[in-house]
Amino acid sequence: DRQTLAAVLQFLRRSNLRESEEILRREARLLGDDLGAAALSPAGAGLQVGAGGDADSAGGDALLGRVTAASASAVGGNVAAVASSSPGLLLYANVFAVGGGVVVEDQPDVSAVLSAYNQQGDPTLYEEYYSGLKHFIECSLDCHRAELSQLFYPLFVHMYLELVYNQHESEAKSFFERFHGDQECYYQDDLRVLSSLTKKEHMKGNETMLDFRTSKFVLRISRDSYQLLKRHLQEKQNNQIWNIVQEHLYIDIFDGMPRSKQQIDAMVGSLAGEAKREANKAKVFFGLLKEPEFDVPLDDEDEEGENEEGKPKKKKPKKDSAGSKSKKQDPNAPPQNRIPLPELKDSDKLDKVMNMKEAARRVRLGPECLPSICFYTFLNAYQGLTAVDITDDSSMIVGGFADSTVRVWSVTPKKLRSVKTAADLSLIDKESDDVLERIMDEKTASELKILYGHSGPVYGTSFSPDRNYLLSCSEDGTVRLWSLQTFTCLVGYKGHNYPVWDTQFSPYGYYFVSGGHDRVARLWATDHYQPLRIFAGHLADVTCTRFHPNSNYIATGSADRTVRLWDVLNGNCVRIFTGHKGPIHSLAFSPNGRFLATGATDGRVLLWDIGHGLMVGELKGHTDTIYALRFSRDGEILASGSMDNTVRLWDAVKAFEDLETDDFTTATGHINLPENSQDLLLGTYMTKSTPVIHLHFTRRNLLLAAGAYSSQ
Amino acid sequence: MEPAKMASPKSAPKDAQVMAQILKDMGITEYEPRVINQMLEFAYRYVTTILEDAKIYSSHAKKPSVDADDVRLAIQCRTDQSFTSPPPRDFLLDIARQKNQAPLPLIKPYAGPRLPPDRYCLTAPNYRLKALQKKVSSTAGRITVPRLSVGAVSSRPSTPTLGTPSAQTVSVSAKVGTPVSLTGQRFTVQIPSSQAAKAATPTTPTVQNVLINPSLIGPKNILITTNMVSSQSAASEPNSLKRKHEDDDDYDNL
Repeated sequence: DRQTLAAVLQFLRRSNLRESEEILRREARLLGDDLGAAALSPAGAGLQVGAGGDADSAGGDALLGRVTAASASAVGGNVAAVASSSPGLLLYANVFAVGGGVVVEDQPDVSAVLSAYNQQGDPTLYEEYYSGLKHFIECSLDCHRAELSQLFYPLFVHMYLELVYNQHESEAKSFFERFHGDQECYYQDDLRVLSSLTKKEHMKGNETMLDFRTSKFVLRISRDSYQLLKRHLQEKQNNQIWNIVQEHLYIDIFDGMPRSKQQIDAMVGSLAGEAKREANKAKVFFGLLKEPEFDVPLDDEDEEGENEEGKPKKKKPKKDSAGSKSKKQDPNAPPQNRIPLPELKDSDKLDKVMNMKEAARRVRLGPECLPSICFYTFLNAYQGLTAVDITDDSSMIVGGFADSTVRVWSVTPKKLRSVKTAADLSLIDKESDDVLERIMDEKTASELKILYGHSGPVYGTSFSPDRNYLLSCSEDGTVRLWSLQTFTCLVGYKGHNYPVWDTQFSPYGYYFVSGGHDRVARLWATDHYQPLRIFAGHLADVTCTRFHPNSNYIATGSADRTVRLWDVLNGNCVRIFTGHKGPIHSLAFSPNGRFLATGATDGRVLLWDIGHGLMVGELKGHTDTIYALRFSRDGEILASGSMDNTVRLWDAVKAFEDLETDDFTTATGHINLPENSQDLLLGTYMTKSTPVIHLHFTRRNLLLAAGAYSSQ
Repeated sequence: MEPAKMASPKSAPKDAQVMAQILKDMGITEYEPRVINQMLEFAYRYVTTILEDAKIYSSHAKKPSVDADDVRLAIQCRTDQSFTSPPPRDFLLDIARQKNQAPLPLIKPYAGPRLPPDRYCLTAPNYRLKALQKKVSSTAGRITVPRLSVGAVSSRPSTPTLGTPSAQTVSVSAKVGTPVSLTGQRFTVQIPSSQAAKAATPTTPTVQNVLINPSLIGPKNILITTNMVSSQSAASEPNSLKRKHEDDDDYDNL
């Protein structure tokens, strides 16, 4: 079995047994096809794994130099080796039960194979084990109890799933009945799904639960509490549950004070437990790319026309202040050429000039100067409005609908024009100065253009920064690129074969990201029909995807209640943020690139420091799913829009100042969140029964919001 | 299942009440009343499909009656067909690793609209225009209208309907008759301005109207006339009317 062989090799590699690995590899190549026919009997159900983490090293020693002998040898700790029918292979299938884990990044995931061999303990006694552990934890000291209570949920689910997977249906049902009420309230949705899974066949289609079963739930426990637990479980009668704990949980130990219930509650909630501390240690270049320096002509009342760059003027042209401020490289910013980015075209340069002119007139927001909010209500959408986007210069708004249409409106008095047909194009004067105006067709100009093409509800839309293209992703599994000059569909990108929930263009154009039901996010370029990067790792659907302002990182929020940050360059997951108690539906990067705000169905907005990988704030106030989050143009205000028909404004400056970043915090990731949601809330604005699904700050810091009126 | 506690009207059939209870158990508290009808229809359709399949399997195995194994097999086969699930995690991690190893491709500067090769775009015309006068063509040999498949014709992406107005030569490929992809050939569709028409009509009388026929044209121009162009001579009017009739017949022959 190729898979099992891969599992063996992986184990050997991980135990640093180079020689055995080489020998086995050589043998494997010699035997070749024999392996395929080899019948591998699973390790006996009754085998016990040695105590503690010592089993790994003990088993490893025994493997040295014993590959050729087809004999079973007991290794201190009662590990039995099972020989396959083809001589020369020793398989320690049960040892893998201890060592087998999910390493997300580079190793082939063989836990699926390993899970087939696992059978820990007697199914009828599972209730005993669980209640025994429960009793122990409830009798432990207060300071340890909060931490040890984290064990309840993952153990409960894993034990239940194991009973179901091994087809002990009645035991599973009674186990569930007895203990499901003890779990935390925020796990109720998961428990409801679990209650419907009673047979092995039910599990087959549920990829999320299968992944959960084969991955290790991560718990962060202080060393003291862990010692306590270990001592208790290693007693003779608790051996079974110790095996189960070892098999299904990954306990990330930290040195320090045990955490309080409040601290723990803030960080738990995801389907995979918390994030290991090492998962958030990679260096992330969260700085912004340098803007190209060029002269901005001073805006003068009598001189409206744009000047060529470098043309001498009487008044000294104002230099681009952002670029020229510091000549030296920001250490946190990625090198300019870290990822290839499209070059700046003339039209882009003109756009930047316009941007800077608008920026000069921007309103400085703050607690005493709140933005005005202009709300665009979609009427008669009959609950069919599923996606909205607004261009950066706020000139066009697009709506994606459940009837598979994509509708583009012009927000300004300027109508939407498409390029003339070839017949008319041949008639125009190509040498005239305003040829770009002349190629546009006046006869079919309208405020609304409808784009047909998708065969399912459109769940995500995104304008390109240069306003030439529009992306839309749909339940039919495709992402479509539309031209906004001809209002026709150009390309259909097929890759996800399942509904695509969100898509977004990169801030520099050319790249775009999409995330869908198949639990991956994909990075595409407009001129490649296949994705360039695949970001796999989430346990459930990817519901929200956003680019970092420097286009080097992508944040994905998922239904498994985690937010992951991925590196575009090599596809690695560089950050995992847990803490939400429901699927994440909105993400927003701060304009300076240092912070990330996330909103989920639990109604909380969480703020994260990307550089340190820590949660730095929690904004409570909304009572329903948050579908829209946006920072103002200079990052002073965070606006959130929710299904509870309100838009709330939060003080971002205050939320991000005074961060504790001492050594302890960075080492352990624990932070004491201040209960300051009320202080940070600057205003709550109710709509007339219109859920808010999109927010957009114009270049002058006027807040635009969009939603569809729903009569109930 | 107590009818008194149901939200549905008292006269709802038992199945509907069961369905409402299922929805409640799964935590769905707000739903439109039509949802229950939809779910019941789906349940009925699914169960009848499975049972029909099971009957077929059982009769194939020459069993006297349908038993649980037949039903299990039927469910299994249908699941692989209709209710596919996304790929498993290890598979995704594997292909992700392969894809992510390749470095990001460099971006060519000044490349115009950055789109995939035309084969993968939706910018080709998804229609073809056919010959009209088949009888006249017998002298010139069989006019084979090569089949254009969608996406097969290379054309400028920005003008999906008609090509550039300038006249261009056409390269002829040997395999005209086969409905094979015609990438590499350029079909420019020209609206006859008055000058061009004069030049073209004496040389190729057969291709006066709607024709795409590289084997005959060779280095000559291809002309396509459409109804839209007002500069069309009156002669084309009866032809265009004729075209509408012949379209239905010719479609089968081709």
